[in-house]
Amino acid sequence: MSEAPHTVKSYEEELKNLNSNIIKMGGFCEEALGKAIQAITTRNSDHAESVIKDDEKIDKFETLIEQQVVNLIALRQPMAIDLRETVTALKISSDLERIGDLAKNISKRTLLLNEYLPKNLVDALVRVSSNVQKQLKSILDAYLDRSSSMAMNVWESDEKIDDLTNLCMQEVIKYLKENEKNLDDGTHLLFVTKNIERIGDHTTNVAEQVYYLVTGEYLEGDRPKGTEPIVTGEK
Amino acid sequence: MIKISAKNVDVFYGKKQALFNINLDIEENQVTALIGPSGCGKSTFLRCLNRMNDVIDICKVQGEIVINDFNINDKGCDVVRLREKIGMVFQKPNPFPKTLYENISYGPTIHGMAQSKQEMDEIVETSLKKAALWEEVKDRLHEPGTGLSGGQQQRLCIARAISVQPEVILMDEPCSALDPIATAQIEELIDELKKEHTIIIVTHSMAQAARVSQRTGFFHLGELIEHGSTDKIFKNPDNTKTQDYITGRFG
Repeated sequence: MSEAPHTVKSYEEELKNLNSNIIKMGGFCEEALGKAIQAITTRNSDHAESVIKDDEKIDKFETLIEQQVVNLIALRQPMAIDLRETVTALKISSDLERIGDLAKNISKRTLLLNEYLPKNLVDALVRVSSNVQKQLKSILDAYLDRSSSMAMNVWESDEKIDDLTNLCMQEVIKYLKENEKNLDDGTHLLFVTKNIERIGDHTTNVAEQVYYLVTGEYLEGDRPKGTEPIVTGEK
Repeated sequence: MIKISAKNVDVFYGKKQALFNINLDIEENQVTALIGPSGCGKSTFLRCLNRMNDVIDICKVQGEIVINDFNINDKGCDVVRLREKIGMVFQKPNPFPKTLYENISYGPTIHGMAQSKQEMDEIVETSLKKAALWEEVKDRLHEPGTGLSGGQQQRLCIARAISVQPEVILMDEPCSALDPIATAQIEELIDELKKEHTIIIVTHSMAQAARVSQRTGFFHLGELIEHGSTDKIFKNPDNTKTQDYITGRFG
């Protein structure tokens, strides 16, 4: 935070603490997503299980942050930048919690998949997920640096994720069509792909919050949208 | 609509300059809050608006304060008429050491506003009703005003101020000596009064400024640093000094 410190030191500490909890929670989400993707692409069940187990930590952070926010509002009546810090922390924590849940869901599905997945499918998953991971990292950096331009970049890049998601979906549909035996795995992979895209959407939500936090303005206009999602494989 | 327009106002106490080039428009039928640390000039500015600074010998005011297209700093300004149009309520309730009735009737009497006892009774009743005090005091109008509680005394002072039907009411920290309940009553009153009057309130309570006003001006070291909608000032002020002040980062 670039502002001068508060006259009341305990208030300053409380806001710093809230800030650092968001950073920590974001760090756990990054780790969960990284491990979940690694688990599915390298077929590592240990990673998948640890993501499922560690989701509890992320959930606890959400509760903690919510309590801190309620206390700040009730006891400190924050104004201006402090108010925006407080309110955005609440909203960001709820997006991060969803990111944790989605990573957990990816891991649960990973444990149900067969050992072998075709390389082109894995590659498509890696392409979209590496972009989402990059986005998540960027937006947490933007939060830490209070950078509205970085937040804007993340917001604008959601389009690319939509496009990569669709490419990945096409690969999964192709895989489903190849053989009836692929039905179980293919269905899980559709959900996995969708989950990754949803994580991208939550990252974009966080970008909107960071932008508001820094500038006090709302990002205007429609979100950049990529190609329309594929609803059926009939083409 | 603009009710009061301050243009290039400078105020000096002897050689010391207390206000520097203040330019501020006050909207009609709105509450404007003036905030800032002690000694920033907000009360001095408030006192310019009904020429209360005239009573301080060494005080000199320059610039224009235009109310209803008339510069009140002009030589031709009738200060008594001005103060009839611009009432004032102070930090400490200061009822006259007279009865409740006389506290209210004093202003209308000197301004010749009532032709009969009945008319005066009506003015007293209406003023007390508008100040949300009537129900509490209607049976004791001839008891001393100083016998009321602090909050009631302050509402009596507001009733006294509105008895002469001012267009503008200036309030200098009107709640600083009151408990939270009495404060809430005054704040509710301010909300009601703004329908008929333009209100300018100086307050040290940021929360109060946020609660009661539609416009806020922030003063610091004799300068008007920032002014705008209260909403904007408390959510996203433009100036760092404003932000530092309202978030408690000053000094």
